[in-house]
Amino acid sequence: MKYLSEYRDPTLARALIGQIRQSASRRWTLMEVCGGQTHTIVKQGLDELLGESVEMIHGPGCPVCVTPLEQIDRALALAAMPNVIFTSFGDMLRVPGSECDLLQVRARGGEVRVVYSPLDAVALARKNPEREVVFFAVGFETTAPANAMAVWRAAQLGIRNFTMLVSHVTVPPAMTAILDAPDNRVQGFLAAGHVCTVMGWTEYEPIAARYRVPIIVTGFEPLDILEGIYLGIRQLEAGRCEVENQYVRSVRREGTVPARTLVERVFHLVDRQWRGIGTIPMSGLALREEFAAFDAELRFGLSEIRASEPTECRAGEVLRGLLKPPDCPMFGNRCTPEHPLGAPMVSSEGACAAYFNYGRIRQRQHAEV
Amino acid sequence: MCLGIPGRIVEIHQDEGLAMGLVDFGGVRREVCLAYVEDQVEPGDYALVHVGFAIAKVDEHEARRTFEALRQMSQLEELDWMREVADRSLDAMSGGPA
Repeated sequence: MKYLSEYRDPTLARALIGQIRQSASRRWTLMEVCGGQTHTIVKQGLDELLGESVEMIHGPGCPVCVTPLEQIDRALALAAMPNVIFTSFGDMLRVPGSECDLLQVRARGGEVRVVYSPLDAVALARKNPEREVVFFAVGFETTAPANAMAVWRAAQLGIRNFTMLVSHVTVPPAMTAILDAPDNRVQGFLAAGHVCTVMGWTEYEPIAARYRVPIIVTGFEPLDILEGIYLGIRQLEAGRCEVENQYVRSVRREGTVPARTLVERVFHLVDRQWRGIGTIPMSGLALREEFAAFDAELRFGLSEIRASEPTECRAGEVLRGLLKPPDCPMFGNRCTPEHPLGAPMVSSEGACAAYFNYGRIRQRQHAEV
Repeated sequence: MCLGIPGRIVEIHQDEGLAMGLVDFGGVRREVCLAYVEDQVEPGDYALVHVGFAIAKVDEHEARRTFEALRQMSQLEELDWMREVADRSLDAMSGGPA
């Protein structure tokens, strides 16, 4: 990458696309894990430019999309409590729960605040000692160090009115769940560059070896993604199945060790339900017993709240790469960003939102031409 | 949600034992937790920042290029969003409207 003048140079992009097309002797099927990568691919139309050389399947790497309905309903219940200040990343506000979403709870008088960093929620708790401040801790390994630090910090400063509703998930178990499925078509992965920035890639080495799939640690710019695809196809053509790092400017093999260390200190691995997919063993993070005082589920007794997912939404098939959003019968009619049936239509990383937003833009451009 | 943005560390300080710093994202400045990279960085270095935390040190040369690419792709939506949220958080801290 060091000879590239830009990560989005059209000339270089064309050259890479040419290389990919030339090196593919057949049509290969790759999955990009992260929703951020999906958005780059769909927005730039990379999947269309690659033609017959590769089919890109969109993976489950959208934390907003895979947060189970039950956790959303618990968030809604917390946000409606009179003494609670409910804090969250902005992405979660429009995710539909069983009855409504966080924005609607706010409109009815619930105190819901968007924070940029989980440390902002800790600061809010400190400023408002008479209130209960709850933070909605969702995300993959990229976000886990920030959330772990918020708990660690609250413990260190003796802040007792701060808790977290935790719905953390981890990437490698989802990849093996996809590979284990009898209807799996994925032959190689673009691994999520920022998850690997934190975690490194040692966890992926046994997956690549056991399932004989190349795994390319890949960044988020168009040239990153094209290079990741190129490296993956080169391995497939050569019959290799290794972990390879495309995102060298950010990712080291061991990851960011102090971040990993605190995540392991604060959280432990648990079975976790993924919305639309089901329970994946040891795929989630929950607070360790030592930090149980910061667990909103325990403090507010939320285990009574149960929910079953609506059958209409086929997000599970989309998240497993079995259904492309435009092929869903609900897409664009019964389900739109204004009236979503499922989270992938509202999340900034959701595959359905990517197709809806950028597909429409492309159609308009065609219309203008 | 896993979006990471490279920014330049302007200054570093300790906040009750936690390494924090002011980070410049093409003109937008924010307080960022540097605890995970404090052994590796000094003012002037670039760090990859995700939800207010530096998660890796980035080579400055590479960081500039990524940022230029981001700018070109008009993907500064995230920065605009950050600016908006930062303003709102400040309002919230000072007791203003959320």
